Parts: sequence; structure tokens; C-alpha cells
Amino acid sequence: MTEPSPAIVVRGLRKVYGNKAAVDGVNLTVPRGCFFGFLGPNGAGKSTTIRMLTGLVPPTSGEIELLGLRMPGQETEIKQRIGLVPDESLLFDRLTGAEFLEFVGRMYGLDRAVARDRGRALLDVFKLNENRKLIAEYSKGMRKRLAMAAALIHHPDLFLMDEPFEGVDAVGARLMKDILLDQVRRGATIFLTSHVLEVVERLCDRVAIIQEGRIVTEGALADLRGGAESLEEVFVRVVGAEREFAKLDWL
Amino acid sequence: MAPPDISTGRGRVRMIAAILRAQWLSMRGFRLGSSRRGAALSLGIAFAWYGFWAMLGLMVEEAMAGSGAQAGTLLPTGLLLVFLYWQLAPLVSASMGASLDLRKLLVYPVPHRLLFRVEVLLRLTTCAEMLLLLAGGVAGLLRNSLYGGWTAAPRLLSGALVFVAFNLLLAAGLRCLVERLLARKHIREALVLFLVLAVATPRLLVSTGRAPRSLDEMFAAAHFLPCPWAGAARWMAGGGWVAGAAVLAAWTLAAWAFGRWQFERSLRFDAQAARATEIDPAEAKPVRLEWLFRLPGSLLRDPLAAIVEKELRSLSRTPRFRLVFIMGFSFGVLVWLPVAIGQQGRLDSAVAQNFLAVVSVYALTLLGQVSYWNAFGFDRSAAQVYFSLPAPVSTTLAGKNLAAALFILLEIGLVTAASLLLRIRIPVAKILEAFLVTPVAALYLLAIGNLSSVHYPRAMNPERVSQGGAAGRWQGLVFLFFPAALLPVFLAYLARAVFDSQTAFYGVLAFAALLGAVVYRIAMDSAVEAAGRRRETLLAELSRGEGPVASE
Repeated sequence: MTEPSPAIVVRGLRKVYGNKAAVDGVNLTVPRGCFFGFLGPNGAGKSTTIRMLTGLVPPTSGEIELLGLRMPGQETEIKQRIGLVPDESLLFDRLTGAEFLEFVGRMYGLDRAVARDRGRALLDVFKLNENRKLIAEYSKGMRKRLAMAAALIHHPDLFLMDEPFEGVDAVGARLMKDILLDQVRRGATIFLTSHVLEVVERLCDRVAIIQEGRIVTEGALADLRGGAESLEEVFVRVVGAEREFAKLDWL
Repeated sequence: MAPPDISTGRGRVRMIAAILRAQWLSMRGFRLGSSRRGAALSLGIAFAWYGFWAMLGLMVEEAMAGSGAQAGTLLPTGLLLVFLYWQLAPLVSASMGASLDLRKLLVYPVPHRLLFRVEVLLRLTTCAEMLLLLAGGVAGLLRNSLYGGWTAAPRLLSGALVFVAFNLLLAAGLRCLVERLLARKHIREALVLFLVLAVATPRLLVSTGRAPRSLDEMFAAAHFLPCPWAGAARWMAGGGWVAGAAVLAAWTLAAWAFGRWQFERSLRFDAQAARATEIDPAEAKPVRLEWLFRLPGSLLRDPLAAIVEKELRSLSRTPRFRLVFIMGFSFGVLVWLPVAIGQQGRLDSAVAQNFLAVVSVYALTLLGQVSYWNAFGFDRSAAQVYFSLPAPVSTTLAGKNLAAALFILLEIGLVTAASLLLRIRIPVAKILEAFLVTPVAALYLLAIGNLSSVHYPRAMNPERVSQGGAAGRWQGLVFLFFPAALLPVFLAYLARAVFDSQTAFYGVLAFAALLGAVVYRIAMDSAVEAAGRRRETLLAELSRGEGPVASE
């Protein structure tokens, strides 16, 4: 019996804007059933990488394989099996939460009644069941929870999540974490970026750190920490952050 | 360390300069960055539109220079028309020009009077055309020796400048007032209808011969000194200019007070509260028109049905779309009706005989600016959803086109109903004709619209009821592209007129429909290919934020 292909394989991925490489030769392999954290300072290339994985942005060069399928040739099949929680809101402001979830479910090929029922159930779980409130009136945290619900509705094999906990309250974040851990136990793969390193430390098996478009370190979380350091200490050491603010003598 | 001093003139000028510079940099980044073609098209349209008004300005200049003493008689009426256009055109066309994005600026310590000054200056974006006409009029009077010639330049120019200031201040106040009213959920559509009626009724009265005398009296009022345009005319033309100056100065002061008052009220206005959904979650009543939204699903399959349903829901809840939709049938009927009736009050003109088709096509073109011409505009950054879900772009565009088509058919029905309510007799054959002609015209416009949507996407703020930017750009677009798109339909009418035959009409129309289907298909393939190729640019344009001045 052959081993299933990795969830994500990226080889020599590059994205150049003008004369600046936002992503500069990234190589990455994420095994299936893994909870993978993709970390980096602001502007390092995390969001650009995720956008290339989801097909929203074409790479300048390099190869992408998701769940054994090639991007962009098998893009539609890939999209059927991934759930996306983006950094920016991808929600239609003029729909209610229920209408949006039904729309997403039907776009993933679910029967209308099934999409509606699942949508209702997800809204209950995520405490978003304020009937007929338009998404335009949602807070930031509510939008993130709804985006998470939309990523779950078709039961994907791979989750791509860009700052999924940003703006979410503690209760909502706890709920999302529990759901994600349960999904991993059932065989799904989670690929997420986050600035909240405590959350990454608690959830992730493997971590990669990107800086200025390049992977600077990657591996199992336990190996990277070496037993003594926290993830924050590893992160700050690897990206070489300095105490720059001393230059602001007028502050 | 002390904060920068904004109480001095220099400090205030720096603030205004900072706002305008931020806006310029925002626009420059857009124009020169990802959409050079869009910028070139916009510039071309602006050139054509303002070139047309510049020509009119030259004609006004010649008229004022060469009409001798008559210039003094023409001037008040001319200034009255400038005033009416300046104040009413933005309201009726729902194109209120650029304005300050107060949400972004109120967090800074900018004095309100400073913001007001910038807001007033921004009124220049609504009616730059009138400045061209005024400039022509002033230049003509300068050449007219009967009005003092070049020696009267200080009086002429000062009068014209104060008249411009009066209009700017009044327009700023009206804009604030109307925007607040339109932000309230239950008032906006009624207000639109009221404005449309207020604008179109005088013309209708003239055309039907109901009250010509009252309109003659109205234009005689152009010379009535207490009116600001009469005061401006007296000031500029001389002959009692002191009284004219006093009148105009008083009106300008009043306009300043009104504008300032309305601006302050707008600063305190909670638009979000005005728009909030007032629903008790415990009630959970079904959505009105739910059956209409679900209709596509019973006829089509997903994902096409899902996209059509989403578009029907979203657009019907978008204030700007609803406004333009209502204008389509109300404004359309009331504007074209006087044209149809004419001065003699007869119904035998070409427009009268094809009234329903003309108004329906007019409504179709009006709907373009809020639907098919910029299909992803209201989605903004959420348009990325279409590219991350497993449905081809062609399905997305087709779904949006279908939704637009359903609204167009609804518009034709409402135009018919409005016409019948106004007791305009329309034979059944003409109703059928309108339902045939408009969809054929729609094929061509949707085809161009799909290309425009992927090549020139622009984010549209669904909360803004009025369209920002210069109205001239949209009108220029209409003048450039729409006649070409409607040519096949026009040829069908020409065939009927030339051969005096319904068979010729329907034959040419059928051919136009067939050709339209081919054009639509070719345009769709091209649009899909372009969307895939320039996906990143398209999404970046739709996600683009704005500078301190909101233009859409």
C-alpha cells in the first residue's frame, strides 16, 4: 500500500513584484494529518505564500502540489478539497451569515438542503445565529468565525488559514482550536499562519519560519525548541530582531 | 515636546496640503500602477466629455461677445441655468462627486472648519462643466465693449468668483443633507422619487402645454433682483452693480451658513446606526421576496443557480443599486415622456411610437453602472471568493449576467406599469416589442460589460448611495460605447422605417439577436481568458483602499 502523498509540496516557489522578491525560492513539505505553523515577521511573505497555494496569485516560478494534485493544472480538483480562511475578509457584506454559508456549500457541490442544514448547524456552534443580520454589520471577530465556518462546511482535507484567530475573542478562539484539533485527529491537515506564538506552540506539530521570502528554519516544534526555549525565543533568535527603538530619542 | 501648531494659517494650510497630497498619492498609485489602461480610458473619456463642454463654453463666449446689449438680457437666464444644473444635476444623476472620507479623517486633530473648506473645494468635481461655461461667458463679456470691456475685468471676475463660491457652498450643504437623508433606510427611495418628480415636472408641464405661462414667469424671475443669479448678473454686467453685489454677497453668506450647518450635522451623523438591521432575532420572519431569490434555483443548477441567487440578494440590498434601479423606471419615464409628447402635445413622433422600448433601453444603460459594467465592483475584496471556489470564472460571469438580465426584465415590467399608470396608451404589441428589443440590446451591453469588468474593475462602496468621482466619466463612457452597442437594435428600427414593414423589423432584430449571442460568447471567452491572466491585478484593483477623499 503506497503512502499517501504529502498534503503540501512546494519546490522553488518564487513571487517577484517589480524588482523585489516577496517569496524567494521556498521549498516546503507538509505531511498529511499535520498541524503546520507558518511563521514570520510582518512582510516576510506568509500571506503571499498562502495566496499562491490557493491559486489567487500565480507564482513567478516554482511548483505547487496540494494533496498530490498539481497547481494550476488540477486547480478545480484542489479547490474542491481545501478550506480557506484568509487574512482579508472574503465575505459578501450584503448577505446574512446563513445565506453566505449556503452559497459556499452549494459552490462546493453540496445539495441545497444539505448546505442549508450544515450552515445552520455551523452558525449555532459559532454563536452567529442572529437571524437576518447582514455580514456588513458583523464585527471583525464574527467575520473570522464565519470565514472559519465557511471553510468547514464542505469537510475539506486541507485547511489553509491566514491569521485565523486575529480579532477573535478567547471563547471563539478556544472553539476554533478544538474544532481544528478534532479535524487533525480525523486526518485533515492544517496549514496556518499566526502572530500569536502561544497558540502556535499549543497547536502545531511542525513549524517553518520565513523571513524576507526565504525559509530560515523548519522542523518539528519540539526539535526547534530544543527543550529549553519558548517558540518566541526561537523566533526572535532566528529572525534576528534587535532593540531598534533606542534610536527614537524624541519618544 | 509640543504638538504641531494648527491654529495658525500656516499650520492649517499644511493640513489641507497633507490631505490633498495623500489623495494625490492614492490616485497616482492607482492610475500609474496596476491599471494603466484603465487610466488611459478614463483620461480619454474625460477629454471627450470636457472637450464637449469647452466647445459649448466657446459658443457662449462668442454669443456674449457678439450679442451687443442683448448680453445683459441673456446673462441672468444663463446664470439661472448654471445654478440649476450645478445644484440639481448631481442629485438627479446620483453622482455627487468626490467628498472627504470623514471616517478616516475624524481621528486626526483637524479643525472642522478646515475639513469644510476642503469639502467645499471638492464640489468643483461635480460641475467642472459649469466652470467652463462661466469662463466662456466672462470672456465674452470682457470682449463686449458695451459692458465695459477689459477695463471692467475686476468687476466681472469678482462677480463670477463670488457666484462660483455661492454655488460651491450651497452644493456642499445640499450634498451633506441629501447624503444623510439617503443613508436612512426608509427615506432614500422616496426621496429619489421626489427629486425626480421635482426635476421632471416643469418640463412635463411645458411639453403638455399645461402651464406654459407659469414657466415663462419662472424664467422672468431670472431678472428678479433678490435672486442670487440676478444679483450676480447685475454685478458682472454693471448698471447698478452695487445692489447686485450686495444681493449676491448676502446669498453667499447664507449659503456658507447653510453649508457649514449641514456639514456639522453630517460629522455627528451615525450612518451605521441609521443602517442597522432592526430585527428581533426571536421573530425570524422569512425574507420578503424569498420566493424570487429562490426562483433561479428551481430552473438552474448549482453553481450557476447559487451565484444568481447570491447576486439577486446582494444587489437588492445594496442602497446604490436600489437607487439606480428606481431611477431607471421613474426617471426614464418622466424624462422621455416630454420628448415623446413634444411641444405640440402630439404622440406621433418616433420616440412616442416606441416610447416603451426607448425607456426600457434607457433603464438598461442606467443599470450598467451598478451591475454589468463593473460586475465585481460591489464585491470588492470578496471577489477573491470566486477565484478560490471550484467554479470557473465563466460560470461566475454568466451568473452575474443572468442576475442583471432578471433585473432588466423587472425594470421593463416596472416601466410598463409606470407608463400605464400615467395613462400612456401602449398597445400589447409594443409591450412585447420592448421585451424583445431590450434583451437583444442587453446581449451587446453585457458582452462589453464582461470585458469592462475584468479589464477595468473598480471597487464600489455599496454604502455610498451616490456615485462619487466626476459624473462626466460615466456619461462620457455612455457616449462612447453605448451607441455602438445599440447600433444593431437601431438598425432594426431603421429597417422598419425604410421598408415600412414589421417583418423587416423582426427579421433584422432576429439577426441582431443571433449576432449578439455570438458577440456575447466571444466576449465571454475573452473575458475569462483575461480574468485568468490578470487575476492578480483584478483582485488588487478591487481590494484597493482609498485616500482621504472617497471617490466611489
